[in-house]
Amino acid sequence: MTVLQLEDLYCAFGSLIVTKNISLAIKRGERHCIIGPNGAGKTSLLNQIGGQLRPNAGHILVEGTEITHWPPNRIAQAGVARTFQRNNLFFNLSVLENLQLAVAARRSLPWNFWTVADRIRPIINHAGTLLARVQITGDPRRLVRNLSYGEQRQLEIGLALAADPILLLLDEPTSGMSPAETDRMMTLIASLPRTLTVLMIEHDMNVVFTVADRITVLHYGEVLASGPPDAIRAESRVREVYLGTRH
Amino acid sequence: MEFFLEQLLNGLVYGSLLFLTAAGLSLIFGLMNVVSLAHGSFFMLGGYVGFALFRLTHSFWLAFVLAPVPITLIGIAMEMVFLRPLYRRGHLDQVLLTFGFTFIFFDTVQTIWGRDVHALPPPPGLDGIVELGSAIFSSYRLFIIATGIAIAVLLWLFLERSRVGAMVRAGVDDAAMAGGLGCNIPALFSAIFGAGVALAALGGVAAGPIFGMYPGEDTEILIPAFIVIVVGGMGSLRGAFIGSLLIGEADTFGKAYLPGLALFLIYLVTAVVLLARPQGLFGIKYAAAGPPPGGAPEIPLQSRGAVLIALATVAALTVYPFIVADYHRALVTELFIFGIFAISLDLLLGYTGLMSLGHAGFFGLGAYVVIVLGSLFGLNAWIGVALGIAAAALAALIIGYFSVRTSGIPFLMLTLAFSQLIYTVALKWRDVTGGSDGIGIPEKPTFFGFDLAHSLPMYFVGLIFFLLCFTALRRLVASPLGRIFVGIRENEARMLAIGYATRRYKLASFTIGGAFAGLAGGLYAIFNGFISPDAVYWSASGDILIMVMLGGAGTLIGPVFGSAAFLLMKNLVSSYSDHWLLIIGVIFVACVLFFPGGIWSIFRYARFSVRVGAKA
Repeated sequence: MTVLQLEDLYCAFGSLIVTKNISLAIKRGERHCIIGPNGAGKTSLLNQIGGQLRPNAGHILVEGTEITHWPPNRIAQAGVARTFQRNNLFFNLSVLENLQLAVAARRSLPWNFWTVADRIRPIINHAGTLLARVQITGDPRRLVRNLSYGEQRQLEIGLALAADPILLLLDEPTSGMSPAETDRMMTLIASLPRTLTVLMIEHDMNVVFTVADRITVLHYGEVLASGPPDAIRAESRVREVYLGTRH
Repeated sequence: MEFFLEQLLNGLVYGSLLFLTAAGLSLIFGLMNVVSLAHGSFFMLGGYVGFALFRLTHSFWLAFVLAPVPITLIGIAMEMVFLRPLYRRGHLDQVLLTFGFTFIFFDTVQTIWGRDVHALPPPPGLDGIVELGSAIFSSYRLFIIATGIAIAVLLWLFLERSRVGAMVRAGVDDAAMAGGLGCNIPALFSAIFGAGVALAALGGVAAGPIFGMYPGEDTEILIPAFIVIVVGGMGSLRGAFIGSLLIGEADTFGKAYLPGLALFLIYLVTAVVLLARPQGLFGIKYAAAGPPPGGAPEIPLQSRGAVLIALATVAALTVYPFIVADYHRALVTELFIFGIFAISLDLLLGYTGLMSLGHAGFFGLGAYVVIVLGSLFGLNAWIGVALGIAAAALAALIIGYFSVRTSGIPFLMLTLAFSQLIYTVALKWRDVTGGSDGIGIPEKPTFFGFDLAHSLPMYFVGLIFFLLCFTALRRLVASPLGRIFVGIRENEARMLAIGYATRRYKLASFTIGGAFAGLAGGLYAIFNGFISPDAVYWSASGDILIMVMLGGAGTLIGPVFGSAAFLLMKNLVSSYSDHWLLIIGVIFVACVLFFPGGIWSIFRYARFSVRVGAKA
């Protein structure tokens, strides 16, 4: 079953076309990686799916429901969660508070103004489970700004998972990480349940070819190639884009 | 037809003067992310210095050309000495700093030139009239329009064609990057700040022959200039120009054709523009700069020591009124009421990150409802308080509906503008509100049989309501809803991404804050027995903002101390000196510069060092 379907998606900033008629279908449980040189329009594509950016034309469907032009919060409520390329957390709140906010987002508690938030067991428990799942150890009452960069990246994923999404969008989960941190992140991504669909932008080819079921290569806003890893590896145009033409 | 043409031209005159003020404000904001509340003061100073120069030289033209010079120097000095250290801090500190300066300038002007209106005669040659067909225009007004247009063209040429102009545009786009490319950013900031001040001062002199000079002129130009910028779009010269003409015409035609509704017309225009384009007509969507420094983790009241301190404080406050005289009971009662007012603003400012500069509007609304309904219909004051809360909440809901579409400085400007609307209604609806004289309560109510005309029961009413409100808001900020507010303060974009309709929650916070402010206002009406438009004026909103910042935003208890410190200080200073505005202004400036975290942060540091010391 198709979880995410893009139909002729088109987006431009003035005369700069960042997404040029992209069509893509991603099946349930698929690990789909998007690669491409800087400026290929990878993050812009993710931003359109997440609602942070409005496409000029085309359609985005999640499980058959059209979500094009929905605001980000509604898209999130529909089960699409995302992480950001640059850590985008609540830095002055504790790890636990970060997760509590994310967990509460999809429960019917938002208008509760009387219960003490820290005493709502189901949410605290859920947050604790997530903490273990994204492998953040140490005191959960630490402020996020005091976490290591790698831990903050892991928390990014924790926030996204909190809402039990059907589609997870990851924007370069390993960017800026040390090799050890990258390994940990790869284990984390590999441990995600196969019922969850993952669309991921990644630069580290090692990660891409380990994780991906299918790969899409973007170049100047267009799909250059899309298919299973082996096919992409063999594709000559991809080599040209990445390595330049050999002389 | 002549009448229509005349209004059209008058609208252009007002628009030109607005443009001179708004252009600088807009550029300064676009480039430096600073909003200067003192910009209206520079306009006013321009008028007065021009007036002084005219008396000295008897030449309008010398005054017109020379008046902006000293004021520009003052502006540049202010930027270099006071604003520069604040660029790394949030917007709010800068706003508060310039707010302090408005007091200083106001007091200075009043001391030197008195409270009377002074007028500047138009220059010889331009004191006549011009006939266009059958319509008659004053030639001086035509001169102002020409000046406005000429300045607009010059500014445009400067920005688009000159090297420095290119640097300014680069700086507006990304100041850090422009600095990296070799622009001397500090010099550029000072130059643009100075240029903005010069334009405002020029506008002030130019307005002299039309409006005259009077204390209060600063606000009367600042508020519409803010509206111009919100409508036109921040940081856009074109926006400032079109916005000025739009607001100038809307205001002038409103006053001519719909005198009763004139005031609402510019707000209507603003509301329509914001609904269609939240970023203003020509504004580009810019990423809102970081939230105010706000809430460090607070000390949980659950800890045994804190509970003991709280109980001891309540016990002391219960005994206190029995051992002091009326005067001191009343003083502390006022502190309770302003404590409620301050924590209601802290919910917006400290917990939700909404920089409201119009909070006194809701306080005033609550107070007016109690007194007006009491005097017109003999309504019981407690029912009045309930209705006042409802009215304040409703007003906050409506104002918030438009305001939460923006954030940061535009939000601040909009809330300020809307609260001035409430002020103007209080001032102009004389039959009901008593106009500038204010209005008194016919009879003080009772509270469970105790006559509130006496200071002792009134004291306990204040104490009880304060404790109730404080407890309620403490629970609110610890609840899931309160956590959402804090999440929005910290990172609104991420809140959206994890599924929160943030605008709705911001509106909720704004409305709850408005309701509590309405309650504080209602209690104040009962306590004080009298309300006048001064309580709703924007400087009252600034005062309460200072109280919150002074105490430490985002801590609830801090603002209580902040408001107490502020009121006691005001009480003390005003009993010793006529220049309390000046002194308060200087204290504001000093507080912003030296106590960025507020009074409460000093306590916290003290606690922290005690703890560290104990461990060592």
